Amino acid sequence: MDEQPRVSRILPLAFPRGGDKLCELCQERAHLQCDRCRLTFYCNAEHQQADWVGIHQRICQLLVPIRTPTAFSLQRDGQIEMQLKKAELIEICRSVARRKLSERKHQEAVPAAQFYLRCSIDVLGPSTVQLVPSHLLLAEANMGLGNLSLVAEILSQAEWLVLKSPGCGHAVRQQLHRSLGHLHTATGDLEAALLNFANDVYFASEEFGLESTVTSDGYFLMADVFAKQGKISITRSLYSTVAHIWHHHLSKLLKTHIESVQNPDVMFEPSYDQGRQAEVDEVLGTMLEFEQDDSRKDPAQVALVAHCLAMLWFLKGDNLKALGFGSVALQASQLIPNHDLTEAVQGLLQLVQSLQTEPHPGSGLSAQPSPEDVLHQDSPSFQP
Amino acid sequence: MSESDSSSGYVIELKEEKQVRVVLEWIQEPGTSAQCWNAARASFSMVTVTPLGHRKFRFQLRRMKESVLEESAQVASKEDISQFRNSLKQNICVQMLQEGHHRSFSELFSLLRSDHDRRAAEPGSALQLDVPLEEHREKLETVKLHLSRAEQAERTGSWSVVCEQRLFLGRYFSAPEDQWLRELEEAKQQAELCVRQAEDGGWLDLSGRPLRLRACEALWRIYDTLAAAPLIAANYTEALELLNKGYIMATESEDKHFEGEAAYRLGLAYQLTGDHNTAKKFLNTCMQICGTMQDADGLGKAYKAMAKSMESEGNTDETVHCLEKLVDITRSTGQQDNLADACLCLGNIYYNTHQYSRACEFFLQGFEVACGIGNVDLLQKAQVLLGCARADVKSASPAAQ
Repeated sequence: MDEQPRVSRILPLAFPRGGDKLCELCQERAHLQCDRCRLTFYCNAEHQQADWVGIHQRICQLLVPIRTPTAFSLQRDGQIEMQLKKAELIEICRSVARRKLSERKHQEAVPAAQFYLRCSIDVLGPSTVQLVPSHLLLAEANMGLGNLSLVAEILSQAEWLVLKSPGCGHAVRQQLHRSLGHLHTATGDLEAALLNFANDVYFASEEFGLESTVTSDGYFLMADVFAKQGKISITRSLYSTVAHIWHHHLSKLLKTHIESVQNPDVMFEPSYDQGRQAEVDEVLGTMLEFEQDDSRKDPAQVALVAHCLAMLWFLKGDNLKALGFGSVALQASQLIPNHDLTEAVQGLLQLVQSLQTEPHPGSGLSAQPSPEDVLHQDSPSFQP
Repeated sequence: MSESDSSSGYVIELKEEKQVRVVLEWIQEPGTSAQCWNAARASFSMVTVTPLGHRKFRFQLRRMKESVLEESAQVASKEDISQFRNSLKQNICVQMLQEGHHRSFSELFSLLRSDHDRRAAEPGSALQLDVPLEEHREKLETVKLHLSRAEQAERTGSWSVVCEQRLFLGRYFSAPEDQWLRELEEAKQQAELCVRQAEDGGWLDLSGRPLRLRACEALWRIYDTLAAAPLIAANYTEALELLNKGYIMATESEDKHFEGEAAYRLGLAYQLTGDHNTAKKFLNTCMQICGTMQDADGLGKAYKAMAKSMESEGNTDETVHCLEKLVDITRSTGQQDNLADACLCLGNIYYNTHQYSRACEFFLQGFEVACGIGNVDLLQKAQVLLGCARADVKSASPAAQ
């Protein structure tokens, strides 16, 4: 990544006549070209730099065989090989854009998402529902940058694609509605946001089940809108459901984790990646804050959410935070007589303390990078 | 007033505003909807129409018409289209969520899924012939309404309303015209949930009766209805299990009337299985309860059932005893139908034990009662029985002499 891009001015005489070279990012007339592949052009150094950081440094050399027509590439075998290479390229762009988004580098995600969409159109054609994931990714990147009118445009294209294929899956619809919900929340049209998040929850329940974390994310977003509308009691009720779903999910993860530590033969290490981890942390943190600020302050909910956070940080390997949230959970659960959570919280606290006094080297308790698929266990991945 | 020329268009009479008649040619333009008419009508009262202000008024109406049309077009493009395009299930679910009733959504969603799964699990069964639950608009709307109300009440802490709504759903699904077993299952679950919720609450309903008791009562009814099908199919084990559960619920409802009724049902069921001892035990319970409640109707039924059990066991004396009791009870309460019936039964017993003159006596009583109430069926039956018995009296007496 410290490798710097090399760039040179376009020499018009070096190319065949006809057809101006266009900027990779903005499709304006280009004046510069990448000096490595010599096949990618830019209108100015700024765009060239943005593309380099965003995606180009990763795919520069991969573009060479794709963008250089040869005798072989025109034959049948060559075409098949070309399709495979393009598919590989698409997958790279998708994962780069995803990663940048989960790291909240929206600006850097735009070139990758843009190229992902362009390649997908190239391979799949301009009007198939399979393009929707790439539209949504691009919309998400622009959403982060606050380009709401652009997002609206992209999403309406995606909506059109979905509309034209009534048989498309629940997962695609779920994602589309979630993106639309985000857009309407940002523009302040809360009723429309609610409608879309409601559809999001409906399709998520159809695809992943009522208890899935995807569904619970939909509930969380709805709760946010209800809070904006001042309907706090609905928000409270939704948060309680979200907390229960996460509690169930994290408890299961914790159990598998402990089993895998006890039995090193099982190499299964379920964990979340940075982005998902941050998201979950934010969801739970928001709910804990809400409950602590709330006048009613339900200790059961505080205990539940704090226990979730403790488990989350324990799985992540941050024992200090796990201890902190664990003790919050314990305090809250002791306020309720015969609360069934107390035992589980105490168990977790003991586990963390025992690990702190005698650290197990290589016991798998520190966060290990895990493949991206594990992170989005129950969220769909689209591969054109 | 000079404008009142009705030849070129519609005339609107404005009773509110000085009876002015205005001719509105534009109403005849294509695309004017009833909605537009109504809107125009509603706003007439706002505008004072004078010959001077007429032009302005007409302009205003035109603008209003445009805005109404535009608005109705917009409404059609969002709500209506999605209502039309999406499935009923999706529309109902999304509405519930939008209103913030997410728990109701998740309950309905699970119910629909279990209905779906059951259908998928039994291909070719009778279930397939029924319309899936997710296509019953009325049922889905009802469930939505009451679940939502219950959830709303739960949020505001009015637990009695929660139970009321859940009970309603329970009763809705156990209504006689809608005895789908799988829905009764749902009704049972609703009522069971209600009993649990009401248990530690100690809430009272509107008439001041604890809700838990009402829930128990509803649950008893549901068990009773559920037991009917296996009873007819001679699947006695299942029927008895349900009826026993029902009996427990009826006992817990603290309503003696229901307890007696439940004991009676259970007694009859045991009678069908041939377990007369247990049957008698429950019938006795029923009799005691009805006795203390002075429920002559219930008491009569119980004695009649008891007599049947005794007769099946060949215990003639006890049978006669029961039937005599029955005759007494029905005579004292003036239940003529039952009295006639009881007399005929008693006559039958004497006839079968060859005590023909006593048989005649009771058949005659039965006949007279039946005549009194004009029950032709019973009357004819009594006539035949009396005729037979008299013939036997005559043939028996010369032989004895």
